[in-house]
Amino acid sequence: MTYRLAAIDKSSFAAEREDDFTVIGSVVRRSDALGHVTGRTEFFEDVAPPGLAHLKMHRSARHHARIAGVDLTEALAVPGVLKILTHADIPNNLYTPLKLIGVGPDDEPILAVDKVRYLGEPICAVVAVTEAAALEGAARVKVTYEDLPAVFDVEEALAEGAPLVNEYHGQNHFIYEGHHCRRIRFGDVEKAFAEADHVFEWRYQSAPIEQAPVETTGCVVIPQADGRLRIHSDTQACFFTLDNTALILETPFNKLRIVGGTVGGGFGGKVDVVVEPVACVAAMMTDRPVKFVYNRYEEMQVSSPRAAERIYIKDAVMDDGRIIGRKVTLYVDSGAYARHTPYGTTKAAAHLPGPYSIPNVWADCHCVFTNRTPSSAMRGFGVTIGDFALESQMDRIARALDMDPLRLRLLNAYRDGDLKAHRKVAEGTALVEVIQKAAEMSGHELPEAYRRMSSLTREGL
Amino acid sequence: MPSQIVSLVVNGEPREFIAAPGMTLLAGLRESLGLTAAKRGCGQGTCGSCTVLVEGQARAACLVAVETVAGLSVSTLEGVATGGELDAVQSSFVDNFATQCGFCTAGMIMVTEALLDRDPDPSEEDVAEAISGNVCRCTGYQPIVIAILDAARRRREERASR
Amino acid sequence: MAIHAVHVPESAEAAVALAGRGAWVMGGGTVVMPLVTSGAATATELVSLSKAGLSGIEVRDGTVRIGAAATLTAVGEHPRLAFLRPALRTIASPTIRNQATLGGNLFVAQPYGDLAVCLLALGATCEIAGPGGRRDAPVAEVLASGVTGGEVVVAVLAPLPEPGTWYYRKAMRRRLNSASIVTVASVTRTAGGVVTSSGIALGGVAPRPVRAVSAERLLLGRPLTPEVLTEAGEAARADTAPADDAYASAWYRTRVLPVHLRRAFLG
Repeated sequence: MTYRLAAIDKSSFAAEREDDFTVIGSVVRRSDALGHVTGRTEFFEDVAPPGLAHLKMHRSARHHARIAGVDLTEALAVPGVLKILTHADIPNNLYTPLKLIGVGPDDEPILAVDKVRYLGEPICAVVAVTEAAALEGAARVKVTYEDLPAVFDVEEALAEGAPLVNEYHGQNHFIYEGHHCRRIRFGDVEKAFAEADHVFEWRYQSAPIEQAPVETTGCVVIPQADGRLRIHSDTQACFFTLDNTALILETPFNKLRIVGGTVGGGFGGKVDVVVEPVACVAAMMTDRPVKFVYNRYEEMQVSSPRAAERIYIKDAVMDDGRIIGRKVTLYVDSGAYARHTPYGTTKAAAHLPGPYSIPNVWADCHCVFTNRTPSSAMRGFGVTIGDFALESQMDRIARALDMDPLRLRLLNAYRDGDLKAHRKVAEGTALVEVIQKAAEMSGHELPEAYRRMSSLTREGL
Repeated sequence: MPSQIVSLVVNGEPREFIAAPGMTLLAGLRESLGLTAAKRGCGQGTCGSCTVLVEGQARAACLVAVETVAGLSVSTLEGVATGGELDAVQSSFVDNFATQCGFCTAGMIMVTEALLDRDPDPSEEDVAEAISGNVCRCTGYQPIVIAILDAARRRREERASR
Repeated sequence: MAIHAVHVPESAEAAVALAGRGAWVMGGGTVVMPLVTSGAATATELVSLSKAGLSGIEVRDGTVRIGAAATLTAVGEHPRLAFLRPALRTIASPTIRNQATLGGNLFVAQPYGDLAVCLLALGATCEIAGPGGRRDAPVAEVLASGVTGGEVVVAVLAPLPEPGTWYYRKAMRRRLNSASIVTVASVTRTAGGVVTSSGIALGGVAPRPVRAVSAERLLLGRPLTPEVLTEAGEAARADTAPADDAYASAWYRTRVLPVHLRRAFLG
């Protein structure tokens, strides 16, 4: 074996250690490795029930348009096409991602009704006996559009006179308990700017990022003799999928069974419940097993990516490096629908102002609707891009003050017992020790006073 | 034109199946023969998760029309372990944590088999080139490269001790 | 459209007959099969060249004749074609090179088709079989306007470059298996420290591989110095029509062309 088994670093927080680990520090073979190396692990698409029908989606060719007409005549004439589903076939034609935790409104049709809000939005689902027939049927659906002006930029979407993206919300931003955004108000940042030796303001932004799992999103739904549906899915969230699908099918939860847990790469991209409901309706209406799996183009174009963000950070900084005020205006591009982005925006707000004790903090975090592909979960969503902005900001401040960037962070790092901007008392912070260790490992020299700092005390501040 | 019967030698056994015109080797293996180790990740030859060996050469099975390989020998991951024993590549992948989600694993192991059949002592650069058509989104590749170099060593030792 | 038949004829003549009926000619399938699988093929029949006896590689009198169905792997393994190995190693992965063919490479869209760029620099000739018999055409002509319906490129003839006259460089996003940002291939002869003849082909900077005639002209009679080559690279911009794609912007390609042209010669 050639991997490196690192010794556990016990130099920090010795008093808090019990050293009763049974797994950490030892080599444990992955429980699924044997299946993977022999090809016996069963992924959802390895299930091949007899009579399997295939579902392919006809998708919007426009970013924003009214649907003037849908003509299925040619598509229905393709040999092998069994059924074409439209919005009228879906019992409750609205995705319900956050309904069970009380967050609304439901804002996204499973199949488009009278309008499309992003390029690639599903309009009709063609079910056929072969994949080729389903593809041909989907290609032969004719949709007539009346184009609407589209908006692709978060700040333009919030401007006066911008086209309305999503009528379920009624405005181009998500409403948080009556507020137009997630807000933090702590101390008085304007006073801090007035008192500061320096004020630094910079802008940061990111593009959407696709999770790009090697296995594309999909499911196989098999009607059972007892009337239940067995759903083989690569969802990252089996129970969430079961609940949401039942709400959309308007069926009791116990009519569905999910077989899952084997995911060919997810990274957050398989958390939205997108393919299962329509595949279930198709299986019920045709009384056949149905497979609905994205091709690579769909995975890249319509599966929800990490949201694009734009972040403005304005800091009040003293000559010695202490940050006494931080004002953040953050925009998260939700795309045409909410999915998990209102939650991601809340996470972004919760993460501000970064792991630093700053006495005056002001933040407005906007969840904005645009005519782009709906964004959703991806590895630390809401936090990652904010971190990129915050840590870039710290480096730029250090450069502007001609100061060691690690010392700048150690000076401002939060300590156990500090009151954070959210009125939570910080505990188990450990940032000081992590920076000290990183400095040591990378040969970055810190003065004695900084090496003596601790997240448990206020020494050196 | 009607479907036709295609004959292949798969993992050493003669197999026949009915194929619609233009069926890919990947679909033939997975859907007609039930050999599902090779995966469909992209359907356009860019992810490598469908890699199998045709006459000992690595091929993206999603790019092969079955008609063009009729009568040829095809090796898939299902045929690598013999008598329930993992081969050197498989055991090295397990021991070096070269699998995570497992979706790229079949392709990675098959390109490794082809590489080591051709070159028993590849450099790290040779390994990087061999797997350059295989996408892994979980590991960051390093454990896979380590596993392949370790597998090469294990194979050489097996040969030497025989 | 759904495919109704895939033909695997055992002679070039049979392939030509099928192509004449409207079947798509398929080399290794690396371009055609994704279209078939996604339902985007606009033909209902395919004709594979894999068993048509077109995979041979022969060298005679300083000229190589490569069958259109020779795979990129086979081209790279031929001892007399070792000069092409660095170029071939930059094309896709070994797995794809086991399938992709020389003939197919002439018909792929830029920024792919680096072997075609090499053939253009070598001044290669295509042997074409068609309903009316065989004809030869410069590779430049085939790259520019393809072949007519029912015709099949059966082989490519290229003069082998004399030692020390072959230059190649491909700029890409990754070191392996990445499409071209700028590809430069050249056969350039020098005598007495100055260029006596030069053929330069570029990939990645136009809808098809192009000859950098402006650069070729500028190099004649001059030494291969960084200054001269940079000047030639700047002149070569006149021969290009770059586009934006996922790999690079047109602006970037134009900007770095002189750099990579220089590096093709001087490293």
